[in-house]
Amino acid sequence: MNILLKSCTIIDPEGPFHLKVKDIYIEGETITSIEDSISLAADKVVEIPNLHVSYGWYDAKVNFQDPGNEVKENLSSGLTAAALGGMTAVSVTPMTNPTLSNKTQIEYVRKKAEYSPVEIYPYGTLTELGEGKNIAEYYDMSQSGAIGFTDGHQPVNAGIMYRALLYMKNVNSKVVSFPYDYSIFGEGQVNESKASVLTGLKSIPNIAEYLMVERDLSLTAYTESAIHFTGISTKESVDLIRDAKKNGIQVTADVYAHHLAYTDKEVLGFNSNFKVLPPLRSEKDRQALIEALKDGTIDFICSDHTPEDKENKDLEFDLAHFGMIGTQTLFATLNNVAGLDLSDKINAIAIRPRKVMKLPYATITANSRANLTIFDPKLEYSLNADDLASLSKNSPLIGKNLTGKALGVINNGIISIFED
Amino acid sequence: MDNLSVKHIIGIEDLTKADIELIFKTADNFKQVINRPIKKVPSLRDITIANLFFENSTRTRLSFELAEKRLSADIVNFSAASSSVKKGETLVDTVNNILSMKVDMVVMRHPNPGAAKFLSERIGAKVINAGDGTHEHPTQALLDAYSIREKHGEDFKGKKVVIVGDILHSRVALSNIFCLQKLGAEVMVCGPTTLVPKFIGELGVKVEHNLRKALEWCDVANMLRIQLERQDMKYFPSLREYTMLFGLDKKLLNSLDKKITIMHPGPINRGVEITSDVADSDQSIILQQVENGVAIRMAVIYLLAGQIGR
Repeated sequence: MNILLKSCTIIDPEGPFHLKVKDIYIEGETITSIEDSISLAADKVVEIPNLHVSYGWYDAKVNFQDPGNEVKENLSSGLTAAALGGMTAVSVTPMTNPTLSNKTQIEYVRKKAEYSPVEIYPYGTLTELGEGKNIAEYYDMSQSGAIGFTDGHQPVNAGIMYRALLYMKNVNSKVVSFPYDYSIFGEGQVNESKASVLTGLKSIPNIAEYLMVERDLSLTAYTESAIHFTGISTKESVDLIRDAKKNGIQVTADVYAHHLAYTDKEVLGFNSNFKVLPPLRSEKDRQALIEALKDGTIDFICSDHTPEDKENKDLEFDLAHFGMIGTQTLFATLNNVAGLDLSDKINAIAIRPRKVMKLPYATITANSRANLTIFDPKLEYSLNADDLASLSKNSPLIGKNLTGKALGVINNGIISIFED
Repeated sequence: MDNLSVKHIIGIEDLTKADIELIFKTADNFKQVINRPIKKVPSLRDITIANLFFENSTRTRLSFELAEKRLSADIVNFSAASSSVKKGETLVDTVNNILSMKVDMVVMRHPNPGAAKFLSERIGAKVINAGDGTHEHPTQALLDAYSIREKHGEDFKGKKVVIVGDILHSRVALSNIFCLQKLGAEVMVCGPTTLVPKFIGELGVKVEHNLRKALEWCDVANMLRIQLERQDMKYFPSLREYTMLFGLDKKLLNSLDKKITIMHPGPINRGVEITSDVADSDQSIILQQVENGVAIRMAVIYLLAGQIGR
């Protein structure tokens, strides 16, 4: 199938056509021509006002609930949500039931994406069955397509982390750490701040995060291995990671979109859709995260898409589960963040996550593979629950007016245009 | 003004100074009523109130019940131990049951912060928060301030009140801070460093960890009950040691160069927060607090009921 994209603004910060308005002609899986004006016949011509195109977006952390909790989200509904969000790739976390702890499970997940424009690059568990006792089969899982290893929100003790970091050097993959010390925050619900005082909800202090960042950085330096931190939310963690990068430690980090868009003020109304882990932090932390993203201390943004059904979310705040969905609204969420321009955003959701996770990436040129997201950064619309493809509707954006939307994805010869 | 600015009593944070003063004036009238030979008025004959207690309570529940009976309302009572509501489905189901029962007003105590707000957003009835976990306990704060007003006069400006004890887990402390500050008083909190939230200063209160210094500063000391059941881990080693650092005895009280007023929301752990001779001394207004509790709750119920179209 051939497709012609008419007059689209190319957002490709490292490429030759960055910010240029061009026609793009795609044959099958390949971009064959980029010109000011192309008049070749095509099976599909996309001509939409304010059309933008970039390398395909990649949501490097989503928590689909398949296998185990398919009522909340299965791989197929999750992939649809991701595609509607403009993703051509996602990485699913392994703490499902059963956990993604061997090649069979990694292959099961990978196979589900076979006919989708969205590729799946799963994480495997850091320890056998995610039980925190022994390191898992990193090599075997990597061969089957796992791109990193984590026990999700379950912290591992220093000894396990030490051996995992050491052993990972045989595999050319990455330890992914969600840095939290649960002995400090106990049953914490919200950021330790004025917000925890005003709501009376138990608090999660910044130090519960950055203490673990310190530990893992020390272990990474000692083992001369590499580590990726997911869900950085505090200024102190940012400062530690910035220094570590300066000192040559192989560290990368991501931030969840909602930590850039919201602060702990949101929980004052006890709206459980804002109950997330790490908790929404202070304005000072939020500004530090934006700054860190701009100076490269934080490498990329992901959604931490966490589907939860009504039974686990429409509850008293401290009984509700943590998490919000977000892969479909990732771009719109980022549009609310002052201080990030379009190139920053595309860098952070398309290019840098691929570099960190060692996935293929090339600039947009003639003869490169067509892995593209088309979008309109200015499109205004209101979001209804029915618009969300996710089986769970735990989004604080329902009923809100949003700006910026993906219009289609093109990848592996599959073309999905949802708005014309 | 003869109407409240709020539709429910969820927390003192939502009330204005005028609301609080209106509640006090209304309570003045009801305090006369409950000291008459016939302690009852027919105002709420056509109103049904459900008292839902998802957490153990004796005096708050009795005080509300008495207030409702003095106003001639019909009442239904429901209590459940907190263990049976751990799963959380109960509150949503309770909501639906209340809707079916067509009650006009709900008084609820619940172990989870925000539960009263949760309820008020989902039912048509009026909601009075009788304590939601570690969030707020508005009627307690109102009766505390009302009792201070009775003893020290209507003008709170310049009055100094210290709240002593477990500030971290106390709904009474938070509601009291809001209420006293709105009325113009100065507030200090005093307690073990593990039980005073790091960011409490952002509410504009003074923070002190030395009981003697706190008492020397204040006109009124509100000694909170130590609630071990609300603590998920040990924040101080033992009650013995708490008493050594934060217990108030007669010797300490008498060593101050002024006569401060002693309050306690009850029930007292005698010999822990305060000794018996302090609780029973003429500086204590603990029993007046209990009496005023009924008048304040009558006032709140009466004012909210006035908003119901009848």
